[in-house]
Amino acid sequence: MVIVVTHACDSATTPITSVIFRFDLFALLSVQSFPGNAPDTNFDSPTCKPGCLNNVPESVDEVKTMLRTFKFILMILCSGQLALQAQEFKLFERKVQVHGWVSQGFAKTDNNNWLTMDTSSGSAGMTDMGLNMSMQISDNLRIGAQVYDRNLGELGQYHPSLDWAVVDFNPKSWLGFRGGKVKTVFGLYNDTQDQDFIHTFALLPQSIYPTDLRDATIAHAGGDVYGSIPLTHGAGSLSYTVFAGHRTDTVYSGYPYLLTQFGVRFTEYGGLQYGGDLRWHTPVNGLVAGFSRLDQDTQGTGTRAGLFAEEHSIQDWTNQFYAQYTHGRFRIDSEYRRYLRDQRIQNGTNEDEDDVRGWYISGAYRVKKWLEVGSYYSRYSITSTARKLLDRDLPQAHDYDKVVTANFDANRFWNIKVEGHFMAGFGNAPYPNGFYPQVNPTGFKPDTNALVLKTSLKF
Amino acid sequence: MTRFNTRIASVAALIVVLSSLAARADSVKIIANSAVQANEISVHELKGVYLRERNSLNDGTHVEPVLARGGTAHEMFVKLYLKQNSDELQRYYETLVFSGKGSMPKAVASDADVVAYVAKTRGAIGYVNAETNAPGVKTLAVINALSGSERAVITYVAPEYPSLLRQQRIGGIVRLKLIATPKGDVRDVEVIGGNPILGEAAVAAVQRWRFAAGSSQTLMEVSIPFEPN
Repeated sequence: MVIVVTHACDSATTPITSVIFRFDLFALLSVQSFPGNAPDTNFDSPTCKPGCLNNVPESVDEVKTMLRTFKFILMILCSGQLALQAQEFKLFERKVQVHGWVSQGFAKTDNNNWLTMDTSSGSAGMTDMGLNMSMQISDNLRIGAQVYDRNLGELGQYHPSLDWAVVDFNPKSWLGFRGGKVKTVFGLYNDTQDQDFIHTFALLPQSIYPTDLRDATIAHAGGDVYGSIPLTHGAGSLSYTVFAGHRTDTVYSGYPYLLTQFGVRFTEYGGLQYGGDLRWHTPVNGLVAGFSRLDQDTQGTGTRAGLFAEEHSIQDWTNQFYAQYTHGRFRIDSEYRRYLRDQRIQNGTNEDEDDVRGWYISGAYRVKKWLEVGSYYSRYSITSTARKLLDRDLPQAHDYDKVVTANFDANRFWNIKVEGHFMAGFGNAPYPNGFYPQVNPTGFKPDTNALVLKTSLKF
Repeated sequence: MTRFNTRIASVAALIVVLSSLAARADSVKIIANSAVQANEISVHELKGVYLRERNSLNDGTHVEPVLARGGTAHEMFVKLYLKQNSDELQRYYETLVFSGKGSMPKAVASDADVVAYVAKTRGAIGYVNAETNAPGVKTLAVINALSGSERAVITYVAPEYPSLLRQQRIGGIVRLKLIATPKGDVRDVEVIGGNPILGEAAVAAVQRWRFAAGSSQTLMEVSIPFEPN
C-alpha cells in the first residue's frame, strides 16, 4: 500500500503542496514493532527477559489496530492546523501560553538492533510528546511547567514525567534566577534534545546527545543563575548560566536498562549535579562559541538476585566545547565532549572508569522554505577499565556515524524527516551508546546502516 | 569599449544593489505604546527585547515585543535588526518555549494588527512598514553603533517637522551617519538616506543630542522617523 501524503490539509500553502511524499506504509506496518499496545514492557516483567522485544505485533488484528492509529495520527496532523491556533488564553487577567508537540519515528537497520528497538525488522517504537503552559505573573516573573512522555523501544515506556517546572525571576538582562525543575543548559542543544522539530536532524549526533541517556543530563531539580553581558569595544556579548541541583533518572532510562542484563534492577538512580555554561556571541555575525562543564555525584540503588545492589560516583565530570556559525540559509555546528565517569560498582567491590569522548561536525542548508538538507559526522569512543576495553579502534569501543537528512516543513506545525545513518562500530561498553546486548542476543556486527523516518506535530 | 561597457554595467549593478540595501533600512519603522517614555531605541536594545534577553529598555521602561506573522516588514525587521531569517527566529522561540527558558512573543497577522495591539498594550513595541499609517502610537528613532561601544542618548532633541511637508503629508525615515565623541558630543553628521529636506531638519536636531561618555569615539547610524500624522 502506498500512502501519498499531499498537503491537502494546508490550503494556505507553501510550495510543498506540490511535493508528494511516498512511502510504503504496508511494508512498514508489516514488519515493525509498535508502541502503545504494550503494557507488558516493565523490565521486571516475567515475559521480558534479556533479549526480549516487547512490542512486536502478533496478529492481523494488531496490525489493523496500528493502521487505524496511523490513520488517526494523519487525521490529527491534517486537522491540527485549525485547532492549533488557539494557544493563548487569560487566567486571572494574565496571559497563559500553551504549547505542545507529538513525534512519531520509524527506524530500520540492516544489522544490529539499535536504541533498544527491533530495528533490524523495522520499528516504530519511537514516540514522544509534551505539553507545557507558562504564565507571566509580573514584568519580571514567569512560571511554567511541561509534562513529557516517551517510548523508545524498551526505554521510557510511556511513563509521563515532569520535564520542567520553573519559577523564573529576571530583574535584569545580566541577572536572572530560575528555580524548580530546570532544563540544563549544556552545549548547543542539551535542553532541546527531545524536540527534534527544532533541529534539522531526526536524531542529534549520538556522540554528544545520546537519546537513550537523556535522563543523565536533561534537567536538575535546583536552580540557575543566568544572564547576558554586553562586552565593550564591540566584542559581542557573553551569556552565562550557573546551575546546581539534583538529577533523577527514571528506571526506564538507558543505563538502568543496560544493567538488567546482569540482573541488576535499579529502583533509584541520580544525584547532585552542578556546573555552568558560558557562551560568547562573537562580533562576527552568526558565530557563537562556548564551553560547558558538569560535575556530578550520582548513586544507584536497587537489587540483584533479590539482594541489595548499589553503585556510586568516585568522580564524574563532563567538559564540552562548541561553536556554531549561521550565515543566511547555511548553518554549521561542531561540539566536543569528554565525559569521565569513575564509579564504585557492585556494592563497592569493584571500580570502573569509563572515559567517553565524542565530537561531531554538522552542516545544514535550507534549500526552500519547506526543505532543509543536512549532514553530520559524529565520532564516539569509550575506554573502560572494568571491561579492559582500552583500544578505541575496536568496534565495541566506538561508533562513527555518517548521517544525511532531508527535513520537510509541511507547514508551521508539521514536519517530516528522512534520515540515513551509516555507522561503524557499536560502542558496547559498561556505559551504553545506542547498542544493547539485550536486544542483540546473537552478538553484534561491526557496521550498521539505518533509515530513520520521523514526523512531528507542534503548536 | 566592451570592457568599458562592462565596467559601467558593474558600477550600475553595484549602485542598484547598494541603493536597494539602503532602502531596506528606510522601509521598517519601530513603533511603541505611548506609555513607553523613550524616543529612541538602540539596535542592541531591540535585539535584546526580541530575543527575550531583556524586558526593559536602558531607561528602565518595561517593554513587550509583538511580532507580525509574516510579510515584508517582518522579513525586513528580522534580517536588519536581529540578523537572522524568520525560520531561525521561529526555531529560537521554540527553543525558549520548550526548554522553559522563555515565552513566545505575541504574534499578529498584519501591520494594522501590530499598530492596534501596540496602541492598546502598555509597554508594547512593534515594527511595521514605513508607509503604514500608525495612529495612537509613537515611532522611535533607531540607533545603530557601527563601531565602538553602545552609547545611550543623554539629551534627545526632537526634529522640527518642516510645516510645508507636514501639510503635504510627506514623511518617512531619514538615515544619518554621525560620530559621537568620547565626551558624548555629536560631530560629522551626514544624511545617507531619506528626504533631503527632512534630512536637514534631522541633522539640526541630532547635532544637539548628547550621548553618554565613552572610552573612544563611536560611529553610528541613526534612523529618524517623520510622521505627518
